[in-house]
Amino acid sequence: MNASEAREHLEMIERIISASSHKLETGAEYFVVWGLAGAAFDVVDTLAYGGRIPLGWLWVNFLILALAIGFTVVRSRTAGYAEKGRMSILQREYLNVLWLAIAVAFVTSLIGFNLFALHGSMAVWNVVEAIVLFYIGMHGNRRAQICGLVMIVTIALANFMPSNTGFILAAGPLLGWGGFGIAELLAKA
Amino acid sequence: MDELLLSKIRLGIIAELLSNEWVAFSALQHALQTTNGNLGAHLAKLVDAGYVQEEKTFVDRRPQSRYHLTDTGRGAFVAHVKTLEQLLGNAEGPK
Repeated sequence: MNASEAREHLEMIERIISASSHKLETGAEYFVVWGLAGAAFDVVDTLAYGGRIPLGWLWVNFLILALAIGFTVVRSRTAGYAEKGRMSILQREYLNVLWLAIAVAFVTSLIGFNLFALHGSMAVWNVVEAIVLFYIGMHGNRRAQICGLVMIVTIALANFMPSNTGFILAAGPLLGWGGFGIAELLAKA
Repeated sequence: MDELLLSKIRLGIIAELLSNEWVAFSALQHALQTTNGNLGAHLAKLVDAGYVQEEKTFVDRRPQSRYHLTDTGRGAFVAHVKTLEQLLGNAEGPK
């Protein structure tokens, strides 16, 4: 191989690498759906355990959960990475962080139900969701950074407003998680 | 110099796989603008050398072949690029 061929090969490699996507695809619709679902869980729990609605209304949470899972399954099947024909290493890492965070929040709330009763559990989910948003933010997404901050602010506010703790914590997934999804959809549009 | 990576198509395949967890055959074909047969033959050589790993799966009941870059392939690519840069450096001479 001569120098001119070597240059041609190196230029081709550079072209391919610079053309490969370094952008995270966050899945904005999932954030909207799960943000709404998370806020609804918090509101229903707050109302039911606060005695404002009968405890029997808690079944609504299962309906919301089923709808959110249903949406996730259907959407994943129609807009999966398999259809696009590739998955970047960055995207794989993001999915790992997302699922790990969700699993940690779920298991922690489940095994620490005495420690994280009602508001504690809501706060754990807000913290975990904030971590995911900050992870996205670390890759240059300013909207995710702002929404992550919103989630932390809801925890701070809830801490100092004992009469409305549940509703303020519910604002976390609604404005932070769901708000990020809407902001992403608007940015795409 | 790695003989296997002297082909532009094979080098292109490795470069495509470098920043991806996996890439499907169709996406590689689209990116490298080559024919089915040609790409298949080059991929087979890379798979035989252990540079690339093949995985067969189904998407909407249709078969899909996905390719991952192995550690051996990544190492070979890095070494090959270094050799190319040395070759270019030697040809251009000290500045």
